[in-house]
Amino acid sequence: MTSENVPGYMPGNMPESVPENMPASHDQAPSRRRLLGAGLVLGPMAVVPMGFAGPSSAASRAAGASGAPATAKAAPGKTPIPPVEPSLTVHAIDTYRGETEAGLRFDLSYFENGGYRLLERFETLAGGRTKDPLLNRDELKAGRYEITLHLAEYFSRIGARLPQPSFLEEVPIRFKVADAAQHYHVAILFSPWNYSYYRGS
Amino acid sequence: MAGISTHVLDIANGKPGAGMRIEFSILENGAYRVVKTVRTNEEGRTDEPILKPEDAKAGRYELLFHVDEYYAGLRGHLPDPPFIDQVPVRFTVFDATQHFHIPMICTPWNCTTYRGS
Repeated sequence: MTSENVPGYMPGNMPESVPENMPASHDQAPSRRRLLGAGLVLGPMAVVPMGFAGPSSAASRAAGASGAPATAKAAPGKTPIPPVEPSLTVHAIDTYRGETEAGLRFDLSYFENGGYRLLERFETLAGGRTKDPLLNRDELKAGRYEITLHLAEYFSRIGARLPQPSFLEEVPIRFKVADAAQHYHVAILFSPWNYSYYRGS
Repeated sequence: MAGISTHVLDIANGKPGAGMRIEFSILENGAYRVVKTVRTNEEGRTDEPILKPEDAKAGRYELLFHVDEYYAGLRGHLPDPPFIDQVPVRFTVFDATQHFHIPMICTPWNCTTYRGS
């Protein structure tokens, strides 16, 4: 990739030493850290993604303009990551289509008295997230949860040609919340033949 | 070769998931009935197939991987708090003449399964 086709960057004044994997401006959390690092290294030649208005962009320009040694500015210039409200959120990504259609149904249950008790049923928006957190600060409590994805219904609806009955139908995703003061993001990747999930952020 | 097999890989430690408890169940009359409980060997596989070719039949099955118990039993690798609980993998054998290999790739923070071969 050359400087002329790096998305989100102004052409013409891109130094040759800019790493090829510079973040796009919408990738906020990593971009703040990496952008700051780039600014310190590149000094006055540093460029800022168009449309980026985060607090660290001014800091990185100031650091570059001053010409001071990078090490002197690095510590105070680091942007603290804002605390995340405790909640439970989900992002389910259809890796078969490459994008999740709206209307993937899933159920959230909580383990108590020896079994999983249904708390609420949800549907994803287009893209695979939900409009609101599954559980907000007041609702999230420590314990064991299960999310059941209705995959057979979903893939049937979007017209995937699969054996019937299909390999995956209703997929249980179980996880533990140990500290209800933290944010828990459950990221799920799925296709008709595999799935993966992890604690995201 | 028909039947069902598995293979557990502990990618947090870069080695087979040895000694993990797995319960194998079949869906009957709307409920999963435990057929047998097995433990993975040193290779992360089971000494015998989960379901032998001669026993293969179409149906809905569950492999319940005790991933949380596995990591709790490993000295020096007990994350606090843990995230992955027991992991039930529910799948359909839609053609009893085909083989269904169900790998489990896990860490205390994520897991992956797929139809392998």
